[in-house]
Amino acid sequence: MVVARDIKNIDGMLLAPSGCQLSERQIGILQAWGVLEVEVEAGEELARAHDPLAQLPPETLARITADLRARYWEPDGFGPVPAEIFKLMLLRQAQRILQPPV
Amino acid sequence: MTHPPSIKAMVQAVPRSLGSYGPVLQEIEIALQSPQCNLSTIGDAIQKDPDLTARLLRLANSPFFGFANRLSTVAEAVSLLGIQQIQDMIVASSVLEQFKGVPDKFVNKDSFWRHSLAVGITARLLAMERRLPKPDKFFVAGLLHDVGRLVLLSQATEWAQAVFEEYQRKRILLRDAEKTILGYDHQQIAAELLQSWSYPPVLVQAVAFHHTPAQSVAKLEAAVVHVADHLVNAMGLGSSGEQFIPPLDEKAWAVLGLGPEVLARMLEAVDEQILAVEEAFLKNGRAQ
Repeated sequence: MVVARDIKNIDGMLLAPSGCQLSERQIGILQAWGVLEVEVEAGEELARAHDPLAQLPPETLARITADLRARYWEPDGFGPVPAEIFKLMLLRQAQRILQPPV
Repeated sequence: MTHPPSIKAMVQAVPRSLGSYGPVLQEIEIALQSPQCNLSTIGDAIQKDPDLTARLLRLANSPFFGFANRLSTVAEAVSLLGIQQIQDMIVASSVLEQFKGVPDKFVNKDSFWRHSLAVGITARLLAMERRLPKPDKFFVAGLLHDVGRLVLLSQATEWAQAVFEEYQRKRILLRDAEKTILGYDHQQIAAELLQSWSYPPVLVQAVAFHHTPAQSVAKLEAAVVHVADHLVNAMGLGSSGEQFIPPLDEKAWAVLGLGPEVLARMLEAVDEQILAVEEAFLKNGRAQ
């Protein structure tokens, strides 16, 4: 994981600068020095965990994309706003698959 | 079938009555003209109709209006929503009632009204986002944007059948099938109907050009209904007979002057409001 904000001890001494990649060993050392919390940058894995489209199996994503395109009268050459709407509709569909309404 | 009926003839055949809501609206009109008129007189007129009272309170307490406190009396609802808004809601209910006899053969009426209510909600939200005056007018415009189809279905069933056959055979947009078979489309029918009902010209324009907002003299109002219609078609909330998602006119979006970041918030709000609004207008009531 990548440090988002400088890690300092209680005396203000810099232990690890922002942008530094922390290894498991370094995390252990920081804990031994009494550092209980560090701010880290959101990694790709975390972003994926919050992106419903990334959580769908590729074949399901391909199917819902094709189904949505088939509903459009002019499915090609979207401008930026229709493209954004298309993306939101895909997200909506993905959320329904991942969390079906009760 | 030789020549399609004229738009005027079809519209003239639509009953002018406000149905069972007529007496309440009339009583409100009379009360408003009286110098002694106050909110409780209006409330009393509405309360004579228990079904209308229940619907109004249900809507007033729904996420559509979003009041923090529960409104328990009609007088409270009238004071917070305003008389004009209450009249708009009653007129909207009366239109739903007026077309309840339209056969479900080509368009499922529940699906039609779901689509229409959702376009009304979305148009109102867009108007609020754009800070336009009287955003509730846009609810009425959205609700009535496809009413021309109901006029065609109720007054010229054989021609409606020919339109739907053309639509299914050629897999074209329903509006294009209307123009091929009739020489006009549902926008023009709706415009004639609303004009005959003396609707405000801006509202007539918004409905008459909801597929072609650039041609309207009320470009902003027509753009609001156009964008709302596109969003609701994309969301798949009901259908007025069209199975495709018609294209979005990006110039109409530009006229609104909104950033794309409002879209996600808008969809969330529509989802939050649609059930309550459907319940207030459609469930177990006169529209069915």
